[in-house]
Amino acid sequence: MPYKHLGSRNSGAPGWLFQRITGIVLIVAMVGHYILMHYTPTSGHSFASTLERMQNPLWKVFYLSFVVVGIYHGLNGVWGVVRDFKMKRWLSMTILGAMIILGIAFAVFGFMNVLVF
Amino acid sequence: MNFYQSGWTKVLTTYHRFAGSWAWILHRISGLALTAYIFMHIIALSNLQKHKIDRGKAFNEEMALFSSPFFLVIEWLLFAFVLYHTLNGIRIVLVDFANGARYHKQLHYAVVTIGIIAFLAMGYVIFSHQVNNSVAVLFR
Repeated sequence: MPYKHLGSRNSGAPGWLFQRITGIVLIVAMVGHYILMHYTPTSGHSFASTLERMQNPLWKVFYLSFVVVGIYHGLNGVWGVVRDFKMKRWLSMTILGAMIILGIAFAVFGFMNVLVF
Repeated sequence: MNFYQSGWTKVLTTYHRFAGSWAWILHRISGLALTAYIFMHIIALSNLQKHKIDRGKAFNEEMALFSSPFFLVIEWLLFAFVLYHTLNGIRIVLVDFANGARYHKQLHYAVVTIGIIAFLAMGYVIFSHQVNNSVAVLFR
């Protein structure tokens, strides 16, 4: 994206820092998710134990934030790739807009999946 | 050198890549693949919203599909992407915050070594349940 239109205030530093923070959060969350789904699949893959687990608000918050943090980290990474190309401003802004809409839509869709339980 | 005027295919194929550039390329590829995957994952799990009355039916249909041997292999390969992106992500954090630039090559070799070991270990974890179940069925 041509930064001359945004001025030096938008250096991308907050996005860089958030990418590190959300990445570290995702490592912890992913280890938990993998233990549940692959190390103890009898618990992770059973409807009864999943329903019981999801009655605990902490598990619900865990999966809701997993959805948001995962989508943010992914799309922020894609945005980092897009920024490496020298694009016309209208094109990069269109991509950014599409990514934000896609991200919000899929976060809501993911929330609906979690809140089924 | 102007990238666009000098034959970018030549630049891409003859440029000498070191550990750091391979790490960068693999991090990008795995990152883009995982971003595509998380959207796919949410779409696939939206089947849970079917069967308004009998939630368990939708859940079990979903789990039967994802526990099939074909999907276990796919999930194992997915883990390779997750694993590389995780380990190299730790390497990036160390380079950025812990003066890791001084030993980033050694970190890259550590990432590859730990990655291969963890990949094989995860293969055992994923398939041991399947193998145990199959053997249990045979001897029932």
